[in-house]
Amino acid sequence: MSTMTVKVRVWRQPSPDKEGRLVDYTVGNVVADMSFVEMLDVLNEQLVAAGEDTVAFDSDCREGICGSCGCVVNGVPHGPGTGKTACQLFMRAFTDGDTLVVEPFRAKAFPVLKDLCVDRGAFDRMIAAGGYISANTGAAPDGNQLLIGKEIAEKAFDAAACIGCGACVAACKNASAVLFVSAKVGQLSYLPQGQPERYRRVVRMVDQMQKEGFGACSNEGECEAVCPKEISTLHIQIMQRDYLRSVLRGA
Amino acid sequence: MILDGKVPSGPIETKWNTYKDHINLVAPANRRKHTVIVVGTGLAGASAAASLGELGYNVLALTILDSPRRSHSIAAQGGINGAKNYKNDGDSIYRLFYDTVKGGDYRAREGNVYRLAQVSVDIIDQCVAQGVPFAREYGGLLDNRSFGGAQVSRTFYARGATGQQLLLGAYSALMRQVDAGTVKVLPRREMLDLVMVGGRARGLLCRNLISGEYERYAADAVLLCTGGYGNAYYLSTNAGNCNVTAAWRCARRGAYFGNPSFAQIHPTCIPESGTHQSKLTLMSESLRNDGRVWVPRQTGDKRNASDIPESDRDYYLERRYPAFGNLVPRDVASRAAKAVCDEGRGVGATGRSVYLDFADAIKRLGEDVVRERYGNLFDMYQHISGENPYQAPMRIYPAIHYAMGGLWVDYNLMSNLEGLFVLGEANFSDHGANRLGASALMQGLGDGYFVIPYTLGNYIGGTRLEAVTTDHDAFKEAQDAVDKRIKGLLASKGGKSVKELHRSLGRVLWDRVGMARNRAGLQQALKEVTGLRGEYQKNVRVVGEGQTINKQLEYALRVDDYMEFADVLVRDALDREESCGCHFREEYQTEDGECQRNDAEYAYVAAWEFKGRDQEPALHKEPLEFKSAELKQRNYK
Amino acid sequence: MKRLLALLSSDIGRKALMGLTGLLLIGFLIAHMSANLLVPFSKEGYNEYSHKLITNPLIYLAELGLLVFFAGHFVTGIVVTLKNWGARPIAYQRKDPAGDPSRKSLASSTMIYSGLVLLVFVPLHLVTFKFGPWYLTPDGSMRDIHRLTIEVFHSPINLAWYLIALPILGFHAWHGFGSGFESLGVAHSAGLRRFGQGLAVVLTLGFMAVPLYVLLGGGAS
Repeated sequence: MSTMTVKVRVWRQPSPDKEGRLVDYTVGNVVADMSFVEMLDVLNEQLVAAGEDTVAFDSDCREGICGSCGCVVNGVPHGPGTGKTACQLFMRAFTDGDTLVVEPFRAKAFPVLKDLCVDRGAFDRMIAAGGYISANTGAAPDGNQLLIGKEIAEKAFDAAACIGCGACVAACKNASAVLFVSAKVGQLSYLPQGQPERYRRVVRMVDQMQKEGFGACSNEGECEAVCPKEISTLHIQIMQRDYLRSVLRGA
Repeated sequence: MILDGKVPSGPIETKWNTYKDHINLVAPANRRKHTVIVVGTGLAGASAAASLGELGYNVLALTILDSPRRSHSIAAQGGINGAKNYKNDGDSIYRLFYDTVKGGDYRAREGNVYRLAQVSVDIIDQCVAQGVPFAREYGGLLDNRSFGGAQVSRTFYARGATGQQLLLGAYSALMRQVDAGTVKVLPRREMLDLVMVGGRARGLLCRNLISGEYERYAADAVLLCTGGYGNAYYLSTNAGNCNVTAAWRCARRGAYFGNPSFAQIHPTCIPESGTHQSKLTLMSESLRNDGRVWVPRQTGDKRNASDIPESDRDYYLERRYPAFGNLVPRDVASRAAKAVCDEGRGVGATGRSVYLDFADAIKRLGEDVVRERYGNLFDMYQHISGENPYQAPMRIYPAIHYAMGGLWVDYNLMSNLEGLFVLGEANFSDHGANRLGASALMQGLGDGYFVIPYTLGNYIGGTRLEAVTTDHDAFKEAQDAVDKRIKGLLASKGGKSVKELHRSLGRVLWDRVGMARNRAGLQQALKEVTGLRGEYQKNVRVVGEGQTINKQLEYALRVDDYMEFADVLVRDALDREESCGCHFREEYQTEDGECQRNDAEYAYVAAWEFKGRDQEPALHKEPLEFKSAELKQRNYK
Repeated sequence: MKRLLALLSSDIGRKALMGLTGLLLIGFLIAHMSANLLVPFSKEGYNEYSHKLITNPLIYLAELGLLVFFAGHFVTGIVVTLKNWGARPIAYQRKDPAGDPSRKSLASSTMIYSGLVLLVFVPLHLVTFKFGPWYLTPDGSMRDIHRLTIEVFHSPINLAWYLIALPILGFHAWHGFGSGFESLGVAHSAGLRRFGQGLAVVLTLGFMAVPLYVLLGGGAS
């Protein structure tokens, strides 16, 4: 198998309060079947051999579902191509001699912890602010008592597919989290189970989003274009409508 | 020592209800006075933490990841079993119980499995109530499919991402309790020791993975929900952060490790493409419903698949197992693939893969139907391998997937250490020597939602727990030991990286304690593991500092634990002189090359007690009795 | 009032107000442009239309409304933009467009700048026309706004300024129309977006018709 050599300009930042900068490395023996994060593994093995601190990056399942990995590769969150995470970006997308600029997801609400690791705790706090259905364990009726049409179930699934990686925030020029919030709001507001808390939920989640310091939506749709699950921005309008409705009602 | 599983007496159908009728309870007002630590936030951990929070306990939930939503339960594709019999096709709680015991090749504990089958129906209801978007029929009822060769359709699913949807459901329940103030989630924390006070598990020591600081947490009980140890094999379908550390640290404190050699190998994974490979990706075994598995008839046939005529192809599963064909259970399919590759008939650049061919299915059903059924899997395959499976056959190979073994627990899910409970994949209890498809999710959620709320209450309600704070000497002792260990690793500037040594360990385990095992190989493995453990101590190189995010250090600590754990894994395989489920000892096979169980001598759970590094562990046994599921030889001919 | 404040304190509320005021302003622009098209065809008609407009007592209410919409639009616009800029304190060293299905365009990325140009343009435009020289028609019965229009565009500076500013207005509406509906929670569709873009082109060309007419020698009497 032929190998290639790539130049990697990667963001190095030792800690949240220290300055960061792009540092150049050369990574050889890269093969087409390698994923982008495996290429970073190779880089890190080089750094270990040289006795230097490795590039810190989050990565877990390496099959595009956990949402751990994520960085901006050549100006696009998760790198070139659609519908995939950085761990599903394969080096066959690049050619020998290419330069890869690798930066962390940048947003005020996603402070950099180290190198490419960012703190996405804001996402958890937004879910905690109502991104759930209050259903205590043990109190549920039979699953078939609630009839949910196939189309509704599918629509809810489309929204529920969100993996919470944060690429939407990273791509948005305003570092807005509306796609993330609307995916959860959408999922639960399409389903009958979600109706009782529908308006309370949207107001609390949106308010939390604002508190976290995310920006507003400019309706450009960059988020959808980089979303590994290709979640539609149509959910955003549902969320906005529900939010406006509840605020105007004085909820 | 003979271990007692503490299964309640009485008929199997009523054990659990009788148990629940007679347990100790904790009054609602008293629950918040009890702190419970849940380690791990996958299906078992998140569901347990949420349910206990709802009951009013003060819960601390730790995860090594940056959010509970990322735990590896999320990657499960196929579905979750529930004995609802919605399809009117003869399913029942007993049948799910029986299938699970038989599928596990009679090495699971009957009482636990029956209870699991009982709660399986409640799990589905609970998940629906949480808003999990299960697949529905046009009429609005829940849809089911048949899975993993089961003769009934009892698998509930949400496209190819059932694990994700179930985990997000449990996660949302968990975050609701965070909102309510009953649960505190502590992300990016790694448990590095269990703290025992007065003979009971009373807390733990963890490392804050951001700051590197040690944190001590005291509690009335510790719940370990930390998943499986498949990554001991280096390459597996597990996520990068899955590890044995928390479980192994408990084992070092005296918890017994049950059946560690029972590691399931999944037959339909995308094969390894080179040494850079960091993980193997599983594709749902539903592919075997329409795909045909074959290799060239002749060894060393390097022609392209399309150039090999039918007469030169060996559809070896169909040939060897005419009744089940390509749908034989996971262990059987995996071993068969290994056998043909060992004969030199494997395909692909590495020679370690077999074809999974859809040409006939496409001819019979049309490309559109195939796309509808498997489109996402085909896309995934094409994305990863760069090959188009509509035009050329897929290449697959087995990979380590799931750990049936785990810490030994009794019927209460409590380990032999009082106050230490183990849930989900981290315990050994329900799957015996082989897990059936769509049962892992069921067990994780069953343990967390419906078992632990009762058994933990029984423990806390029935035990006098004196107050323990983190100032206790036991915490200091644990912290000093961990600190010494970390400083030692950070000072190691040997010649090999953690990854290299982990890869070496993985190769030993995969080659000798993988799909087929034999005495000589296992004895050799024991030596090799001991050698690697020594080399690791002397020759590993760890870079970076302790007081910051240091993924190399995290990894080094985990591999250090694999090195010790591998010893007990190999010994377990060596001890069990029979073949059962995933554990295929070449010496013990039927004339047809199938597993030959030895129920007279080996119908027991092997529970290993750690006796010190480089010391032989002690073996304890829990005899298994089969009163409700008749012992039978599995036969898929 | 409490609800309005709640609306104004949220990003979604501010964006909805921005969208609503923007769409209302586009509505005004359609009427304005349609009337302008009288200029090349009927001097009298244009003056009469203008006269009827400014002598209607409701004009003050309408003007107040426009003022409120305009002020509301640019205030929310500036507030939202400043806040958005604050949401990413450290910029990327390299940032590329994500491509399809993103609707990002030069227009969408420069709304604040095109908006600021309009913030300068609109008052100047009012000073030039509404508060400009008050010629009377030969019969003395009404304001000869047609004459003023022709005069203004005889100045090459004015002509150039309008020929630059009007496409910027169109540019702003190109993204603004569809985006305004989206901010109000109306599901976006390619059709609605294309309609808005078409409308932006029509508005631009319609408004440019008058200065171009003068440039080409029209209105010389």
